[in-house]
Amino acid sequence: MRFRHLLLWDMRFQARYGFYLLYGFLTALYLLLLVSLPQSWKKNAAAILIFSDPAAMGLFFMGAIVLLEKSQRVTSFFAVSPLSALEYVCAKVLSLSAIGLLVAAVLAAAAGCPSLPSMLVGTFLSSVFFTLTGILIATKITSLNQFLLATVPVEILAFVPAILHLFGIAPAFLRFFPPNVCMDLIAGRGFSVIGLVFTAALILLLFVAACRCVMKMWISAGGVKL
Amino acid sequence: MKAIRLSFFHMLKLVRQDRMLLAAGLAPLLAGTAIHFGVPFAEKIRIRFTGLPAILSPYYGLFDVFFSSITPAMFCFIAAMVMLEERDDHIDRYLSVTGLGRNGYIVSRIGFPALAAFGVTAMLLPVFHLTPLSVGAILFLSLTGSLQGVILSLLIVTISSNKLEGMAVTKLASLMMLGAVIPYFVPAPFSFVCSFLPSFWMGKAMMEGTLLYLLPSLAAEGGWIAVLWNPLCKACR
Repeated sequence: MRFRHLLLWDMRFQARYGFYLLYGFLTALYLLLLVSLPQSWKKNAAAILIFSDPAAMGLFFMGAIVLLEKSQRVTSFFAVSPLSALEYVCAKVLSLSAIGLLVAAVLAAAAGCPSLPSMLVGTFLSSVFFTLTGILIATKITSLNQFLLATVPVEILAFVPAILHLFGIAPAFLRFFPPNVCMDLIAGRGFSVIGLVFTAALILLLFVAACRCVMKMWISAGGVKL
Repeated sequence: MKAIRLSFFHMLKLVRQDRMLLAAGLAPLLAGTAIHFGVPFAEKIRIRFTGLPAILSPYYGLFDVFFSSITPAMFCFIAAMVMLEERDDHIDRYLSVTGLGRNGYIVSRIGFPALAAFGVTAMLLPVFHLTPLSVGAILFLSLTGSLQGVILSLLIVTISSNKLEGMAVTKLASLMMLGAVIPYFVPAPFSFVCSFLPSFWMGKAMMEGTLLYLLPSLAAEGGWIAVLWNPLCKACR
């Protein structure tokens, strides 16, 4: 019950601050772009668009979400409530993934994606990975500029190998690299089981780290250890 | 003027603490290097491997337009983020009632970064350009690019009421730069649907090789700034 309320609250929060409106507009724009591209380009273009935007929105927005919660003193209330860090992290991950999955499904349908379930799994895994990374960074920063700068290495490390892999110009061993596994799933090209295991292990590790960081942020709210 | 200068240096200090100043200094150089060396190299490699005719070189002018938009967008975006932080912390209203005043605050946060972006773009464009550019063209691209950066800042600060909305607006506002692509790919008169975008005229000027489009570009930018000025004054009250 508590988790459901938190999840709904997060979704309302995102709706109030225009996430759904923004992604509605961006989806329309991306659709226009996909429609105007030659048929042979559509699938790869859709995979890049999905991986770099709706799937990665957690990384882009998490800094602003956490900083706004801090400035509104919401984190202080979380600290004294029975809410656990795991519930907080799960609510963030699921609420942001929901938008990502919705947008990705529309774009994939427009591009004639070969396998919708595979694409949705890939988008979900990417979204979880990027949102958790966003939470890890957001709990340690004090300004938006700091956050934006800190996300640049993650973006380079995740996007460059994945896009090179999509075009088949990345070294073969990188097919086990989690962002590349996600890209394979999004593009509907099959995947390696070892890669999927690596991805799950990385996500688990990020979950644990994100929960610890959130807990640390809560107990040190206001600069005093509670 | 002293208050404005001090306010600007205060912002630089804040940005330097976040190491964003270093990033802002390096980013134009990295982007310029990637465009000047990376794009022709990628084109050469592609032609060698596929044997197909050139597909990027007809659009080198477009890369020059993007380069002239990147530095101002980055400078003004950083300043807009500082303004949003100051608004969330209620510092902006305190600054506005000091000797700095509301207009001084706006000039120090939007005007000075745009001026700096103009200088940096005008210095780097002759180094990193892909197409032959006259002094007039360099000044045209630097000026219109910087004013586009001002519009980006104004949009972020006026439409959004906090950091989170600011990030959402940033995502949308940065699409303004894509107007430069329209004259290359959409035939007239349909392309004129996007004539309200300054970048449209920048793209058109590069495609047709005439600086006459400076006038409609400046008119479009003036229109945007005029429309956004009152909401900005209200937002900074």
